Amino acid sequence: MSAAEVRRPAPPLPPPITETGWIGWAKANLFNNWLSSLLTIVVTPLVILGLWFLIRWLFTADWTLITSRPQQYVIGLYPTEHAWRPLTGWLLVSLLWGMGAGIWRGGSAYRVTIAYGLFSLVVGLLPYGLFHPDVVMPWWVRLFILVNLPVLAAGFGLGCNRITGRAGWFVLGGLAAYLLFLLLLSGLPGVPGMEQVSPRQWGGLMLNLTLALFGIVLSFPIGMLLALGRRSGLPVAKLLCVGFIEIFRGVPLITLLFVSQVLVPLALPEDFPVNPVTRAAITITLFSAAYMAENIRGGLQGLPRGQGEAAQALGLAGWQVTSLILLPQAIRNVIPAIVGQFISLFKDTSLVYIIGMLDILEMGRSIVQGNVEFIDNGRELFLFVAVVFWMFTYTMSYISRRIESHLGVGVR
Amino acid sequence: MTTQDETHSPTADDIIVCNDVHKWYGSFHALRGVSTSVRRGEVVVIIGPSGSGKSTFIRTINRLEQHQRGQIVVDGLELSNDVRNIDAVRREVGMVFQSFNLFPHLTVMRNITLAPNKVRRTPLAEAEAAAMELLERVGIPEQADKYPGELSGGQQQRVAIARALAMQPKIMLFDEPTSALDPEMIKEVLEVMRELAASNMTILAVTHELGFAREAADRIVMFDEGQIVEDQPPDDFFNNPRHERVVRFLSQIL
Amino acid sequence: MRPSLTYQGIPIWRHSRLLGWAAQIVSAIVVVALVAFFLINLTNAMEERDIPRGWSFLSREYSTPISETFIPYEESDSFAYAFLVAGLNTLVVSLIGVSLATVLGVVIGASQLSSNWIVSRIATVYVESFRNVPLLVQLFFWYIVLLGLPQVKDSYVLLKAIYLNNSGLSLPFPVAQGTAWIWILCAAAAIAAGLVVKRLMEQREVRVGRPSYPILSAFTVSIVIGAAAWLALGDSPFNIDLPHAEGFFGRLQGGVTLSSELTALLVGLVIYTASFIAEIVRGGLRSVSRGQTESARALGLNAMATLRSVTFPQALRVIVPPMISQYLNLTKNSSLALAIGYADLTSVAKTMTQTAPAVSIFLIIMGIYLLFSLAYSLIGNLYNRHIQFTGG
Repeated sequence: MSAAEVRRPAPPLPPPITETGWIGWAKANLFNNWLSSLLTIVVTPLVILGLWFLIRWLFTADWTLITSRPQQYVIGLYPTEHAWRPLTGWLLVSLLWGMGAGIWRGGSAYRVTIAYGLFSLVVGLLPYGLFHPDVVMPWWVRLFILVNLPVLAAGFGLGCNRITGRAGWFVLGGLAAYLLFLLLLSGLPGVPGMEQVSPRQWGGLMLNLTLALFGIVLSFPIGMLLALGRRSGLPVAKLLCVGFIEIFRGVPLITLLFVSQVLVPLALPEDFPVNPVTRAAITITLFSAAYMAENIRGGLQGLPRGQGEAAQALGLAGWQVTSLILLPQAIRNVIPAIVGQFISLFKDTSLVYIIGMLDILEMGRSIVQGNVEFIDNGRELFLFVAVVFWMFTYTMSYISRRIESHLGVGVR
Repeated sequence: MTTQDETHSPTADDIIVCNDVHKWYGSFHALRGVSTSVRRGEVVVIIGPSGSGKSTFIRTINRLEQHQRGQIVVDGLELSNDVRNIDAVRREVGMVFQSFNLFPHLTVMRNITLAPNKVRRTPLAEAEAAAMELLERVGIPEQADKYPGELSGGQQQRVAIARALAMQPKIMLFDEPTSALDPEMIKEVLEVMRELAASNMTILAVTHELGFAREAADRIVMFDEGQIVEDQPPDDFFNNPRHERVVRFLSQIL
Repeated sequence: MRPSLTYQGIPIWRHSRLLGWAAQIVSAIVVVALVAFFLINLTNAMEERDIPRGWSFLSREYSTPISETFIPYEESDSFAYAFLVAGLNTLVVSLIGVSLATVLGVVIGASQLSSNWIVSRIATVYVESFRNVPLLVQLFFWYIVLLGLPQVKDSYVLLKAIYLNNSGLSLPFPVAQGTAWIWILCAAAAIAAGLVVKRLMEQREVRVGRPSYPILSAFTVSIVIGAAAWLALGDSPFNIDLPHAEGFFGRLQGGVTLSSELTALLVGLVIYTASFIAEIVRGGLRSVSRGQTESARALGLNAMATLRSVTFPQALRVIVPPMISQYLNLTKNSSLALAIGYADLTSVAKTMTQTAPAVSIFLIIMGIYLLFSLAYSLIGNLYNRHIQFTGG
């Protein structure tokens, strides 16, 4: 080759047909080696068969036990004429949801919010009367549900606003909305339309969500204090925290719920105003806080020593080092574990049947047991309840994964 | 290029022969028809801008990456989907990575003896004696019982070289062995590579150390956009480049 | 004279150590006061309402049936013995559940990383559906599925040995004969010998470099010794008792029968826990960087050897600690047995509170659960120390 010959760069070629398109995809994902090919050939028919049976069952199953009394699954035995109170609570959730989407703008926030809006729309438009002429959704209930959409939009507007669209306002608003919701549910004596409704009558999905929110809001700060106590250099504080954490983590929640039901009333003064729902909520919260503490402690342990030292060297006080430097980083690093704990707290709310509360699961079971015609419909019931729980827990874990990848947690 | 025609018609002396090698990642054409060959005992340094396909190329030679068109023959064995050939080739080809990739759960000694013991079935005592010799050769016999995490980067890379040599390979591949190291440590690793190059080992090294290339290489090959744009002995490469791209690249990194 | 640099007379409210102690003393006093307040209330309430107290009930007759037991139990047995029976019921669920959940979880976790799209998809769907639904819902579901099975006389039969029907799962079970204990001793010796041989062969493999088949030789040694002892004893020390249908209603005789409650509990716990274990295994395997496998392959180790010598030992360090806490979770979750009527520790204890002092009973079962926790944590810590010694 002579010096005069200048090589021209070869143009990129399209890959051979066997490497792209569906052939390439199948080669790389289904038939990449003999074991994989064998698995594909064996498993595919099984999957198709399984799906066929499942779909056939879904269409032949009798869903009457759900479609004939939807209200009970949502609010339990809460009096129908007061249904506007939980419905107003739902509006508050929509407002906050929209606000959150406005503050943390982004593809996944929008996706989750659109799904939520569509869900409200579908629930608002469900044609109950079609299957059961006697089950009618009052027009005002429909109205309440559909109003969620404009409220969602209003919340979004608030979130996008420069003054109101702050995470701090969102948290404050959330707490205020939660207190307002509790007030709405239990009622105010003397105010017309706000007659008191005993927590005994709270039920259905509403009860699961109320308990879960209570637990999430409180178990997080308690867990944080416990974690700090366990790591502190103060022997007495450390001993107390370790004792609390290990006892609550070592015993099944069910046992603790029993104790809260049988022994706690005895241990309190007789006129102490704590109802069973509050007791259950506190027990679940403390149980969850013990796990939360261990998660946060794990995050604190994972931090490099230099972080705390650098903060001290800058002249920050002890509490500032912890609250401004260490905790934010530690929590960020264990977001998956914390959300996982929230999810298991939500799942654990189904255990309140132990103390005779009618959450969505127990409500359904009592419908099956109380009506001879539904005695064989247990499968439909449990599948329905499973799907309802799944929708919430999956949304939570989806959001957690998005936050995780957004913050780059776990990326080394 | 004077060697151009010879590289296309492999002789008995060629230990690696590549003929029109293509590789795609999805629809990205990473290697666009690479043809070259390497003689026994030859030291070839590969340079090129990042993303030019030089690392991909070196990784196809022990089939850490699969090429999709063309032919690669290493020591008389063609690399295809034949598992036996792949294992055989990997036994003959040692590789050193940019990030060392020592096994953190094994001692330095066990890192080195693992493959000879498990693959070549060398008795442990023999393997350990050989490992000790290699550690002396790379200058760190006293670190034999430590774990990789306790060594400096340069020491780790020297262990990685010893580990690859322990299989008594016919060819050594170096994939940017000094890119993750401090200048001080680069020197000690290059020292070992230089000594290796002088010992008549066949070496393919992707590196930006032009000093090493000028001194130790028989040929310097430059990659750009998935193909070889220049292939010359060091003197000609630096003083008499044929391709305008080489001049531009050298001016960027010098 | 050197100037004294030690600060004398720091005001009390600025002395860091004093402040710390003050805070601790105050918090301790608050906690002690709270506990005392609860205890006093409790004692008063119990005295007022004449609620029984103390521990004397333990030796009293429990006189309540327990639906399923693994050691002989009669209603005339004492409360203390009933605790033992119930504790064993929980232990059996825990041990069987942990073993099965580990196997299933490892398979599914590895499948999630499979290069085969269908397999990894199925595994992901499995994990996402089962771990996101409350265990209680799943238990109820499996329980009614089992109750919906055919009656005993129309059982599903596998190999004429395993029967599945609406009253449970019947399996073959070995029944000890007179010479059984001698053989058990011999078998233990055989297993020990097998372990020694495995160790020796592993060392030989490393030393000589030639394959010495440690697992194969260990099995051979164990089985030969075990079989020799079996034959030498003349009579067979165990009879395998097969379940078989008898009589007009096809009642099942022989073997061992797990009730529907126990079967549903095990199915639910195993499927639920496996979904968590799968995630742990997946994370552990993924924590071993790509470079590790690449360099092992580049050294000429084949896929199996790479997995055994490089990937697994590193993944295990990440996997074992959270795995232990899953074992513990499974054990604690077995208390949901209460919901479907299997007589585990919690459900027996709940029944006991009707006839015996609740405080004592809760203290006992809390103690037993804490014992379970301690046992599992101990195993975990021992393992951690073991891998710490073999390298960092």
